[in-house]
Amino acid sequence: MNNTQRHGLSMIEITISIGILALIMLPVFMTFSTGNRNMQLTEAEFRAHTAALELMEQTISLPFKQIKTGEYDDREIKDGQPFAQGPALFKITQTDNLWRELKVEDIKRDNKIVFKKVTVTIKFAAAPNSDRIREFFMKTLVANENL
Amino acid sequence: MKIFKMRKGFTLVEIIIVCGIATVFLGTAIMLFTNFRRGYSRSEGTAILMQEGALFVARLRTDLNNAVLIPDSPGGSSTQLNAGTDSLNFMVYNSHDAKAQPVVYRYLASDIGGSLFRREGTDNERELIKGHVASLTWQTNLERFIVPGSTSSGTMRLSIGLDIQLRIKSGSEKPFALKTSIFPARLNRQLNNP
Repeated sequence: MNNTQRHGLSMIEITISIGILALIMLPVFMTFSTGNRNMQLTEAEFRAHTAALELMEQTISLPFKQIKTGEYDDREIKDGQPFAQGPALFKITQTDNLWRELKVEDIKRDNKIVFKKVTVTIKFAAAPNSDRIREFFMKTLVANENL
Repeated sequence: MKIFKMRKGFTLVEIIIVCGIATVFLGTAIMLFTNFRRGYSRSEGTAILMQEGALFVARLRTDLNNAVLIPDSPGGSSTQLNAGTDSLNFMVYNSHDAKAQPVVYRYLASDIGGSLFRREGTDNERELIKGHVASLTWQTNLERFIVPGSTSSGTMRLSIGLDIQLRIKSGSEKPFALKTSIFPARLNRQLNNP
Protein backbone atom coordinates (compact mmCIF):
# COMPACT_ATOMS: atom_id res chain seq x y z
CA MET A 1 0.00 0.00 0.00
CA ASN A 2 1.34 3.35 -1.01
CA ASN A 3 0.12 5.86 1.55
CA THR A 4 1.44 9.20 0.36
CA GLN A 5 0.22 12.21 2.37
CA ARG A 6 0.80 15.78 1.37
CA HIS A 7 1.79 18.19 4.10
CA GLY A 8 2.15 21.95 3.61
CA LEU A 9 1.81 23.89 0.39
CA SER A 10 3.40 23.31 -2.96
CA MET A 11 5.59 25.88 -4.71
CA ILE A 12 2.85 26.62 -7.26
CA GLU A 13 0.31 27.28 -4.51
CA ILE A 14 2.66 29.68 -2.74
CA THR A 15 3.45 31.50 -6.00
CA ILE A 16 -0.23 31.83 -6.88
CA SER A 17 -1.17 33.07 -3.41
CA ILE A 18 1.62 35.67 -3.49
CA GLY A 19 0.43 36.77 -6.92
CA ILE A 20 -3.14 37.16 -5.68
CA LEU A 21 -1.93 39.08 -2.61
CA ALA A 22 0.16 41.36 -4.84
CA LEU A 23 -2.88 42.02 -7.05
CA ILE A 24 -4.93 42.91 -3.97
CA MET A 25 -2.22 45.22 -2.59
CA LEU A 26 -1.60 46.99 -5.91
CA PRO A 27 -4.79 49.13 -5.88
CA VAL A 28 -4.06 50.01 -2.22
CA PHE A 29 -0.64 51.41 -3.12
CA MET A 30 -2.10 53.02 -6.25
CA THR A 31 -4.52 54.91 -3.99
CA PHE A 32 -1.56 56.47 -2.17
CA SER A 33 -0.04 57.89 -5.34
CA THR A 34 -3.49 59.08 -6.51
CA GLY A 35 -3.83 61.02 -3.25
CA ASN A 36 -0.51 62.75 -3.92
CA ARG A 37 -1.52 63.57 -7.49
CA ASN A 38 -4.80 65.06 -6.28
CA MET A 39 -2.85 67.26 -3.85
CA GLN A 40 -0.77 68.63 -6.72
CA LEU A 41 -3.94 69.23 -8.75
CA THR A 42 -5.58 71.10 -5.86
CA GLU A 43 -2.52 73.35 -5.57
CA ALA A 44 -2.50 73.98 -9.34
CA GLU A 45 -6.24 74.80 -9.25
CA PHE A 46 -5.73 77.24 -6.38
CA ARG A 47 -2.91 78.99 -8.26
CA ALA A 48 -5.09 79.17 -11.40
CA HIS A 49 -7.96 80.64 -9.37
CA THR A 50 -5.64 83.25 -7.80
CA ALA A 51 -4.23 84.17 -11.23
CA ALA A 52 -7.76 84.50 -12.66
CA LEU A 53 -8.84 86.78 -9.81
CA GLU A 54 -5.72 88.93 -10.20
CA LEU A 55 -6.32 89.43 -13.93
CA MET A 56 -10.07 89.92 -13.55
CA GLU A 57 -9.80 92.44 -10.67
CA GLN A 58 -7.11 94.37 -12.52
CA THR A 59 -9.08 94.46 -15.78
CA ILE A 60 -12.30 95.68 -14.18
CA SER A 61 -10.41 98.32 -12.16
CA LEU A 62 -9.41 100.01 -15.45
CA PRO A 63 -11.46 102.95 -16.78
CA PHE A 64 -14.24 101.62 -19.02
CA LYS A 65 -12.66 103.04 -22.20
CA GLN A 66 -9.38 101.34 -21.49
CA ILE A 67 -10.92 97.85 -21.38
CA LYS A 68 -10.23 97.11 -25.03
CA THR A 69 -12.61 94.82 -26.89
CA GLY A 70 -10.98 91.74 -28.41
CA GLU A 71 -9.30 88.46 -27.65
CA TYR A 72 -5.84 88.40 -26.13
CA ASP A 73 -3.41 85.60 -25.36
CA ASP A 74 -0.83 85.39 -22.57
CA ARG A 75 1.81 87.51 -24.35
CA GLU A 76 -0.66 90.28 -25.24
CA ILE A 77 -1.83 90.86 -21.65
CA LYS A 78 1.58 91.92 -20.32
CA ASP A 79 2.35 95.61 -19.73
CA GLY A 80 3.06 97.49 -22.97
CA GLN A 81 1.47 94.77 -25.14
CA PRO A 82 -1.77 95.20 -27.18
CA PHE A 83 -4.22 94.89 -24.27
CA ALA A 84 -2.11 96.77 -21.74
CA GLN A 85 -0.65 99.75 -23.60
CA GLY A 86 -1.31 102.11 -20.73
CA PRO A 87 -1.61 104.60 -19.28
CA ALA A 88 -2.32 102.31 -16.32
CA LEU A 89 0.52 99.98 -15.39
CA PHE A 90 -0.53 96.37 -15.88
CA LYS A 91 0.95 94.08 -13.24
CA ILE A 92 0.75 90.35 -13.80
CA THR A 93 2.54 87.96 -11.46
CA GLN A 94 4.65 85.50 -13.41
CA THR A 95 3.65 81.90 -12.65
CA ASP A 96 5.14 78.70 -14.07
CA ASN A 97 2.97 76.17 -15.91
CA LEU A 98 0.11 78.63 -16.29
CA TRP A 99 -1.22 80.57 -19.33
CA ARG A 100 -3.81 83.35 -19.38
CA GLU A 101 -6.35 84.33 -22.02
CA LEU A 102 -8.63 87.34 -21.97
CA LYS A 103 -11.76 88.00 -24.02
CA VAL A 104 -13.64 91.30 -23.92
CA GLU A 105 -16.99 91.59 -25.72
CA ASP A 106 -19.25 94.63 -26.15
CA ILE A 107 -22.88 94.43 -25.10
CA LYS A 108 -24.81 97.16 -26.90
CA ARG A 109 -28.24 98.70 -26.57
CA ASP A 110 -29.46 101.44 -28.95
CA ASN A 111 -26.03 101.36 -30.58
CA LYS A 112 -24.32 102.28 -27.31
CA ILE A 113 -21.98 100.02 -25.35
CA VAL A 114 -23.72 99.51 -22.01
CA PHE A 115 -21.63 96.62 -20.72
CA LYS A 116 -18.41 94.82 -21.47
CA LYS A 117 -18.36 91.11 -20.88
CA VAL A 118 -14.96 90.05 -19.58
CA THR A 119 -13.95 86.38 -19.73
CA VAL A 120 -10.67 85.26 -18.15
CA THR A 121 -9.44 81.79 -19.04
CA ILE A 122 -6.54 80.14 -17.27
CA LYS A 123 -4.89 77.05 -18.71
CA PHE A 124 -2.67 75.20 -16.29
CA ALA A 125 -0.68 71.99 -15.96
CA ALA A 126 -2.33 69.51 -13.56
CA ALA A 127 1.08 68.92 -11.92
CA PRO A 128 4.51 70.55 -12.34
CA ASN A 129 5.87 69.77 -15.83
CA SER A 130 2.84 67.60 -16.60
CA ASP A 131 1.39 67.34 -20.11
CA ARG A 132 -2.17 67.23 -18.77
CA ILE A 133 -3.57 70.72 -19.33
CA ARG A 134 -6.70 71.87 -17.51
CA GLU A 135 -8.81 74.95 -18.01
CA PHE A 136 -10.50 77.32 -15.63
CA PHE A 137 -12.56 80.37 -16.60
CA MET A 138 -14.29 83.27 -14.93
CA LYS A 139 -16.78 85.80 -16.39
CA THR A 140 -18.13 89.15 -15.30
CA LEU A 141 -19.87 92.24 -16.69
CA VAL A 142 -18.48 95.77 -16.40
CA ALA A 143 -21.04 98.58 -16.63
CA ASN A 144 -20.34 101.72 -18.65
CA GLU A 145 -20.19 104.44 -15.99
CA ASN A 146 -20.05 107.14 -18.66
CA LEU A 147 -23.68 106.67 -19.76
CA MET B 1 5.05 -6.44 6.91
CA LYS B 2 3.98 -3.15 5.50
CA ILE B 3 6.37 -0.23 5.55
CA PHE B 4 4.78 3.22 5.96
CA LYS B 5 7.00 5.96 4.68
CA MET B 6 5.64 9.17 6.16
CA ARG B 7 7.03 12.61 5.35
CA LYS B 8 7.00 14.81 8.40
CA GLY B 9 7.81 18.53 8.24
CA PHE B 10 9.56 20.35 5.38
CA THR B 11 12.88 19.76 3.78
CA LEU B 12 15.64 22.36 4.15
CA VAL B 13 15.31 23.36 0.47
CA GLU B 14 11.58 24.04 0.87
CA ILE B 15 12.14 26.14 3.97
CA ILE B 16 14.90 28.15 2.27
CA ILE B 17 12.77 28.81 -0.82
CA VAL B 18 9.73 29.85 1.21
CA CYS B 19 11.87 32.06 3.47
CA GLY B 20 13.44 33.65 0.37
CA ILE B 21 10.07 34.39 -1.24
CA ALA B 22 8.66 35.71 2.04
CA THR B 23 11.72 37.96 2.52
CA VAL B 24 11.46 39.41 -0.98
CA PHE B 25 7.72 39.95 -0.60
CA LEU B 26 7.92 41.45 2.89
CA GLY B 27 10.91 43.59 1.92
CA THR B 28 9.01 45.05 -1.02
CA ALA B 29 5.91 45.63 1.10
CA ILE B 30 7.92 47.32 3.88
CA MET B 31 9.77 49.50 1.37
CA LEU B 32 6.54 50.56 -0.31
CA PHE B 33 4.90 51.26 3.03
CA THR B 34 7.88 53.32 4.26
CA ASN B 35 7.87 55.34 1.05
CA PHE B 36 4.15 55.84 1.39
CA ARG B 37 4.50 57.01 5.02
CA ARG B 38 7.22 59.49 4.03
CA GLY B 39 5.21 60.73 1.03
CA TYR B 40 2.01 60.93 3.04
CA SER B 41 3.66 62.90 5.82
CA ARG B 42 5.16 65.32 3.25
CA SER B 43 1.85 65.68 1.40
CA GLU B 44 -0.03 66.22 4.63
CA GLY B 45 2.36 69.02 5.64
CA THR B 46 2.15 70.60 2.20
CA ALA B 47 -1.66 70.34 2.28
CA ILE B 48 -1.76 72.08 5.67
CA LEU B 49 0.45 74.91 4.38
CA MET B 50 -1.63 75.26 1.23
CA GLN B 51 -4.89 75.30 3.16
CA GLU B 52 -3.60 77.93 5.60
CA GLY B 53 -2.25 80.06 2.75
CA ALA B 54 -5.43 79.75 0.69
CA LEU B 55 -7.68 80.63 3.63
CA PHE B 56 -5.56 83.66 4.52
CA VAL B 57 -5.45 84.99 0.94
CA ALA B 58 -9.21 84.42 0.48
CA ARG B 59 -9.95 86.17 3.81
CA LEU B 60 -7.71 89.14 2.95
CA ARG B 61 -9.15 89.41 -0.56
CA THR B 62 -12.73 89.45 0.76
CA ASP B 63 -11.85 92.05 3.40
CA LEU B 64 -10.06 94.27 0.88
CA ASN B 65 -12.91 94.03 -1.61
CA ASN B 66 -15.27 95.25 1.14
CA ALA B 67 -12.84 97.91 2.38
CA VAL B 68 -14.14 101.50 2.36
CA LEU B 69 -12.70 104.95 2.92
CA ILE B 70 -14.10 106.80 5.90
CA PRO B 71 -13.72 110.58 5.70
CA ASP B 72 -11.47 111.83 8.49
CA SER B 73 -13.45 113.33 11.30
CA PRO B 74 -12.32 116.84 12.24
CA GLY B 75 -9.33 116.47 14.53
CA GLY B 76 -9.66 112.69 14.40
CA SER B 77 -7.08 110.18 13.34
CA SER B 78 -6.73 108.92 9.79
CA THR B 79 -8.89 105.91 9.03
CA GLN B 80 -7.53 104.99 5.62
CA LEU B 81 -5.69 101.88 4.48
CA ASN B 82 -2.35 101.65 6.27
CA ALA B 83 0.29 99.05 5.49
CA GLY B 84 3.39 98.59 7.63
CA THR B 85 5.91 95.77 7.76
CA ASP B 86 4.02 94.02 10.55
CA SER B 87 0.47 95.28 10.19
CA LEU B 88 -2.18 96.10 7.63
CA ASN B 89 -5.30 97.95 8.70
CA PHE B 90 -8.32 99.40 6.95
CA MET B 91 -12.06 99.92 7.39
CA VAL B 92 -14.46 97.25 6.18
CA TYR B 93 -18.17 97.70 5.62
CA ASN B 94 -20.08 95.13 7.64
CA SER B 95 -23.49 94.59 6.07
CA HIS B 96 -24.73 92.72 9.16
CA ASP B 97 -24.21 95.69 11.47
CA ALA B 98 -24.63 98.24 8.64
CA LYS B 99 -21.48 100.11 9.64
CA ALA B 100 -17.78 100.24 8.89
CA GLN B 101 -15.43 98.53 11.33
CA PRO B 102 -11.62 98.50 11.50
CA VAL B 103 -9.91 95.30 10.42
CA VAL B 104 -6.31 94.76 11.49
CA TYR B 105 -3.98 92.07 10.15
CA ARG B 106 -0.88 91.62 12.31
CA TYR B 107 2.24 89.71 11.37
CA LEU B 108 4.46 88.47 14.16
CA ALA B 109 7.79 87.44 12.64
CA SER B 110 9.89 84.74 14.27
CA ASP B 111 12.99 82.69 13.39
CA ILE B 112 11.12 79.46 13.98
CA GLY B 113 8.11 80.58 11.91
CA GLY B 114 5.97 83.68 12.09
CA SER B 115 2.26 83.93 12.87
CA LEU B 116 -0.59 85.93 11.38
CA PHE B 117 -3.50 87.41 13.30
CA ARG B 118 -6.73 89.18 12.32
CA ARG B 119 -8.98 91.37 14.39
CA GLU B 120 -12.29 92.90 13.34
CA GLY B 121 -13.89 95.71 15.28
CA THR B 122 -13.92 95.04 19.00
CA ASP B 123 -13.74 91.24 18.59
CA ASN B 124 -10.83 89.29 20.00
CA GLU B 125 -7.79 88.84 17.78
CA ARG B 126 -7.82 85.49 15.97
CA GLU B 127 -4.80 83.55 14.85
CA LEU B 128 -4.99 82.74 11.14
CA ILE B 129 -1.61 81.04 10.70
CA LYS B 130 0.38 79.72 13.63
CA GLY B 131 4.17 79.52 13.35
CA HIS B 132 4.38 78.70 9.64
CA VAL B 133 5.06 82.08 8.01
CA ALA B 134 8.61 82.16 6.63
CA SER B 135 8.21 85.60 5.04
CA LEU B 136 5.44 88.08 4.33
CA THR B 137 5.26 91.45 2.61
CA TRP B 138 2.23 93.54 1.74
CA GLN B 139 2.76 96.70 -0.20
CA THR B 140 0.21 99.31 -1.20
CA ASN B 141 0.55 101.00 -4.56
CA LEU B 142 -1.48 104.09 -5.41
CA GLU B 143 -1.32 105.20 -9.04
CA ARG B 144 -2.89 108.11 -10.84
CA PHE B 145 -3.09 107.91 -14.59
CA ILE B 146 -4.64 110.14 -17.22
CA VAL B 147 -6.12 108.75 -20.40
CA PRO B 148 -4.55 110.66 -23.36
CA GLY B 149 -6.90 113.33 -24.69
CA SER B 150 -8.98 113.32 -21.54
CA THR B 151 -9.77 116.55 -19.75
CA SER B 152 -10.37 114.83 -16.41
CA SER B 153 -7.87 114.88 -13.56
CA GLY B 154 -7.22 111.20 -14.16
CA THR B 155 -8.07 107.89 -12.58
CA MET B 156 -6.69 106.63 -9.30
CA ARG B 157 -6.02 102.99 -8.66
CA LEU B 158 -5.01 101.32 -5.46
CA SER B 159 -3.56 97.83 -5.31
CA ILE B 160 -1.95 95.67 -2.66
CA GLY B 161 0.98 93.48 -3.66
CA LEU B 162 1.12 90.37 -1.50
CA ASP B 163 4.08 88.03 -1.25
CA ILE B 164 3.85 85.19 1.29
CA GLN B 165 5.90 82.08 1.91
CA LEU B 166 4.84 79.36 4.35
CA ARG B 167 7.11 76.63 5.66
CA ILE B 168 7.17 73.96 8.33
CA LYS B 169 10.60 74.18 9.96
CA SER B 170 10.98 70.61 11.16
CA GLY B 171 9.78 68.70 8.12
CA SER B 172 10.85 68.13 4.54
CA GLU B 173 7.58 69.56 3.20
CA LYS B 174 7.64 71.70 0.08
CA PRO B 175 7.25 75.37 1.08
CA PHE B 176 4.11 77.10 -0.13
CA ALA B 177 4.76 80.44 -1.84
CA LEU B 178 2.22 82.80 -3.32
CA LYS B 179 2.62 86.18 -4.96
CA THR B 180 -0.38 88.14 -6.19
CA SER B 181 -1.93 91.61 -6.43
CA ILE B 182 -5.31 92.55 -5.01
CA PHE B 183 -7.35 95.46 -6.40
CA PRO B 184 -9.95 96.52 -3.79
CA ALA B 185 -13.10 97.25 -5.81
CA ARG B 186 -15.00 99.50 -3.36
CA LEU B 187 -11.93 101.53 -2.42
CA ASN B 188 -11.08 102.17 -6.05
CA ARG B 189 -14.66 103.19 -6.81
CA GLN B 190 -14.64 105.58 -3.84
CA LEU B 191 -11.27 107.03 -4.82
CA ASN B 192 -12.62 107.95 -8.24
CA ASN B 193 -16.13 108.98 -7.16
CA PRO B 194 -15.67 110.63 -3.76
